[in-house]
Amino acid sequence: MVRRLLYLNGIAIVAVILFHSTGWGFTALFAWDKVYLGATAVPFSLKNTPSYYALRIMEQTVMAAIPVFLFVSGYFIAFATGRKDNIGWPLIGARVKNLIVPYVLWGALALLMLFVQGTVWTPKQYLVSFLIGNMTPAYYYIPLLIQLYAISPFIVPLAKKRWKLLLAIAVFVQLLIHAMQFPMLLHLDVPDWLLRLGMIPKWFFPTRFLWFTLGIVVGFNLTSFKQALYRWRWVFLGTAVLLIPLGVLEWEWILRHSGQQWIDTRETLLDSIYSASMLLAFIAFDKMPLPQMKRVSDWGTKSFGIYLAHIPVMEVVARGIYHVAPAVLGYQILFVPIIIVTGMGIPLLMMYLINLSPARRFYTYIFG
Amino acid sequence: MDRENILLGYIKDELLRGRKGDLKAVDDLLSNGIIDSLGILQMVAFIEERFNIQVPDEDVVFENFQSVKALSDYLAQY
Repeated sequence: MVRRLLYLNGIAIVAVILFHSTGWGFTALFAWDKVYLGATAVPFSLKNTPSYYALRIMEQTVMAAIPVFLFVSGYFIAFATGRKDNIGWPLIGARVKNLIVPYVLWGALALLMLFVQGTVWTPKQYLVSFLIGNMTPAYYYIPLLIQLYAISPFIVPLAKKRWKLLLAIAVFVQLLIHAMQFPMLLHLDVPDWLLRLGMIPKWFFPTRFLWFTLGIVVGFNLTSFKQALYRWRWVFLGTAVLLIPLGVLEWEWILRHSGQQWIDTRETLLDSIYSASMLLAFIAFDKMPLPQMKRVSDWGTKSFGIYLAHIPVMEVVARGIYHVAPAVLGYQILFVPIIIVTGMGIPLLMMYLINLSPARRFYTYIFG
Repeated sequence: MDRENILLGYIKDELLRGRKGDLKAVDDLLSNGIIDSLGILQMVAFIEERFNIQVPDEDVVFENFQSVKALSDYLAQY
């Protein structure tokens, strides 16, 4: 099982690549449609087309990527605690330091790219952007992970002594936050304080607290979890598969009743259940042989570097296509695979080349 | 080459990539930030492939992976 976590991490980074590729696919469908449909194109005319639903299904299928990363990180906390009562602060400090250096580097590059495109912020905005990771839609994950590491010394004692209570709290908080997105998105009349729960930004730890906590708890009780979950393995897998079309329908229902043409994707109630089902199925099927074990595990070892590097790569490739070969944008079947292959392949190539070069000693500072 | 040196070589070459040349067998791998969560998993995979030892899940614990010495002591039972 433990070795399979590396594989799981590899699957998660592929899922991230697919997820962000769908983002560029939607951009090509709705924001850049005039480039290939003509200036008179009706906004959102490509909604409800086969391309749109193909992207939606792909997006829904890979929704568990961040929960998986957080689960593996939580598992590490359990491992690093070992038989001690709590995890030590030096270990947390060392882990956070290894995250911050590459994050600052790639974050600065993202801000530079924004600057080149004409976006200029105040010094305070730049500082805040590093604190919440909003220089790209994806970098929120690093401040989120740092927060979770920082609070882990408070979680670990509970995870050791009162893990059922801890998990119950984490599930309640997660479901409450995600349930409150319905009134927020649908403009329903609910008390203001309840509405604010649905507005908690994704970089703030309560929104993803469950996955990290689950990783810690499973890490401390792996054998008993494997035994307990085994008999339910097909239920978890079946639930996960069923929740793919249901998740698509849920989002379409929200969109329809929100009165808006487009809302940026966010984790919903069903998405949380989907992620949980996927994770529990993975633990329960711990004897099942996995295809491409070595290759996918290798991607798993490089996941943090790929995560950081694929964002600017995808942006450059997508905008490059927009300027150089705009006709490609009209063919999602061509455009999205290009984004996927380059989004995964170019960061891997960068890592490979730096590993061979004299800059190898800086590899960890660049890619983590 | 004994297992301790093989493990030291692997960590220096594959995980540290020349970042810290003076790694010793007794150095705390985690608290010193030498390896992280994925590094531990890589170590498990390396041990299984290089020494043909299947490390049981219950043995992948901090105490066995705290240092290269701790790890080679643990592996001595195989």
